Amino acid sequence: MASQFKVAEKRSLLETFREADESLRLPAIAPPVTYPLETLVPQVRQQTPAVGQRATRPDGRLHGLGQTRYIDDLAFPGMLYAKIKRAGVSSARIKSIDTREAEAMPGVMAVLTGREIPVNSFGPSLKDQPVLADTLVFHAGDGVAAVAALTEQIALEALDKIKVEYEIMPAVYDPVEAMKDDAHKVHGPNSNIYARKVIRKGDIEKGFAASDHIFEGRFSTQMVEHVPLEPHATIAQWDANGRVTIHSTLGRITLGRADVARTLKLPISRIRIVATIVGGNFGGKNEITQEPVLALLSKKTGRPVKGTFTRTEEFIATTTRHPIIMDFKTGVTKDGKILARKVRLVLDGGAYCSWSETTLGKACILSAGPYNIDNLLAEAFVVYTNKTMTGAMRGFGAPQVCFAYESQMDDIAAALNIDPLDIRLLNAFEEGSPSPTGQVLHSVVLKDSLLQAAQRFGWKEPQQ
Amino acid sequence: MKRRGRGIACMWYPIGFTVAANPSAAVVKINEDGTATVLTGTVETGQGSLTVLGQIAAEELGIATDDVHVVSADTDATPMDTGAIASRTTYVTGNAIRLAAEKAKLILFEVAAPMLGVKPDQLEARDRKIQVKGYPQRNLAIGDVANHAQVVMGQPPLGSASFNPPTVALDPETGQGKPFSTYVYATQIAEVDVDDETGEVEVLRIVASHDCGTAINPMLVEGQVEGGISMGIGFALQEEILFDAAGRQLNPNLTNYIMPTALDMPVIEVDIVKSFDPTGPFGAKGVGEPTSVPTAAAILNAIRDAVGVRITSLPATAEKVLAAIAAKRAQAPKRITAG
Repeated sequence: MASQFKVAEKRSLLETFREADESLRLPAIAPPVTYPLETLVPQVRQQTPAVGQRATRPDGRLHGLGQTRYIDDLAFPGMLYAKIKRAGVSSARIKSIDTREAEAMPGVMAVLTGREIPVNSFGPSLKDQPVLADTLVFHAGDGVAAVAALTEQIALEALDKIKVEYEIMPAVYDPVEAMKDDAHKVHGPNSNIYARKVIRKGDIEKGFAASDHIFEGRFSTQMVEHVPLEPHATIAQWDANGRVTIHSTLGRITLGRADVARTLKLPISRIRIVATIVGGNFGGKNEITQEPVLALLSKKTGRPVKGTFTRTEEFIATTTRHPIIMDFKTGVTKDGKILARKVRLVLDGGAYCSWSETTLGKACILSAGPYNIDNLLAEAFVVYTNKTMTGAMRGFGAPQVCFAYESQMDDIAAALNIDPLDIRLLNAFEEGSPSPTGQVLHSVVLKDSLLQAAQRFGWKEPQQ
Repeated sequence: MKRRGRGIACMWYPIGFTVAANPSAAVVKINEDGTATVLTGTVETGQGSLTVLGQIAAEELGIATDDVHVVSADTDATPMDTGAIASRTTYVTGNAIRLAAEKAKLILFEVAAPMLGVKPDQLEARDRKIQVKGYPQRNLAIGDVANHAQVVMGQPPLGSASFNPPTVALDPETGQGKPFSTYVYATQIAEVDVDDETGEVEVLRIVASHDCGTAINPMLVEGQVEGGISMGIGFALQEEILFDAAGRQLNPNLTNYIMPTALDMPVIEVDIVKSFDPTGPFGAKGVGEPTSVPTAAAILNAIRDAVGVRITSLPATAEKVLAAIAAKRAQAPKRITAG
């Protein structure tokens, strides 16, 4: 009953929101504003001690008034607009790129191809990603050329005038196919498996032998995008001293600066990255994308150059979440105590490594679940395919493996006729429990969280 | 008809990266009026991290949130930082800021000690005052001390520090080691309605109980949980990038890539689990990523509870759920009623 009431309450609340939204719509032209010297500061921001306060955010007022300046809101005198031509083919050799017609267009100030980039590769661990593809295309979202023009429209028209001749090559899209010996090698020559991880603890054969029941299941997840409200955006300004200032939506400017320096072959001291306020990251803005391209276009033209990804580019040309195929085999006693677990994970890495190694590690370690399992073998592989690259995304593999281990936990509970809450409490980590990597865990409050959620939900109350 | 179901899922999640160095550095300057400025290389990406980092500096200096201004994300002006990733900002950058603020505070204590006739280690910073421990009535306004330090003593009160979580590399054969400094834990319980004629799933309610160590700002923790749940719902039920046979995306736009809107959001009830991690700043760990980890699992378990089908591949679209219900009915022995 309580929950039905809540749902009705939610519906009326949403209606209120809709009405409020209508009446709050800002006029197309903002009315003139005079700021008071003293701004209203909520008391909660003025209280001590500061920790534990529900303090409002200083950027909240600017967001609310629509005054936060994101990169795309910034303009500098003489600024040009850049666009990147996407390959549109997922596996190919570039035979030729003809930019002459585009360069001759009025309003086009510069065109850039991959061959002009001093070090045309980057990546957080493996440097396997070209800034602009120069000889080979590895997935359909690869950039092959870039244009800087007086307007976005001219830049877009110029992209159509760039003629790229491709020799289509074999491709592989399925990660399981990609693991086979005779599969097309995305980055050659030996194997598409570019990283593996193993966690070994106890003796799984003994554990399975001692188990009363063994449960096996295969679970799989899809590729998803971060979809931040603000797309990737950059403004690069190369100055007469040979210093480059890059305003960018990067979430990691220290490493971004090192990556830009490497691709441009410049000392780090000649690069400045300013990130201002980023409109959503979720892991999608953890590495450079168009920054070196725009810097070189600015160098060629002597003018600031801005590039803002379209929503389509957000999908096809930035990282996504790893699809994972997950095989779980779990041995339990008749009381529901887990004695052994064997996990095999195959991660679809897409065309480039990006943050796959971290994702692989976290997925592998976390796949045991927050449970005491004495006998564990977790193996994980990440493989190249000719698809959009997968990388960092909120949870680094954890939402995928949690879906698998918690689905199987409920299947076990149902088969043994144990309450799903009780089977979790029976196996849950406690203060001092050893993790799958042998680490002694501290500040473990898993059981508290289980009981608190169950209490709040009314889990143990009789169901209707 | 609509069938109600409930599902539970719990999780654990580490703070920071796997074994790589993961440092943050920070600078804290105490201004002449007792307010402070923090320099950090991390980036505000919408989660409110700069507010939380300001609160950490304020706590160490005994001043209020509004007294601290945080300057961030400029490689020329701010110190090195591994960035807004891996739920590390509050824990790693927060620790660096706390240590930097402590160094700046110790300069104030040195300046204030002779003014109050005590030793520096007998002082504490609380309620915008530098006061003698145990004798709070013997105090000086922090602004007066800061001004005295700068203008009279020529000792500008500022501090810089860095923090890198201690880890032990994993053995390549067995995977044994200490990859992360600490972990957080969470449980989410979902209540759903599944229409067994259309396969459509409506998430009605999610109860979320999250550990983040000390909640530096409970409101921002709740915000993270609500946002994480919205991502988890999309992952569970709607979102999927589709490819054609030539490896090109079929739905790279918000018309055909379906994700949750405000109208898809369930009632969300958030509890913050009481917890304290001695290695975090004032006991804090982190909360960003874990909030979207158990959502899909809880929803899929609720679907199973509602209609008795286990969907093993995400997303659990209406088509997939309906096909599973149909397959289950086809398997069930037909009951022929007499008469």
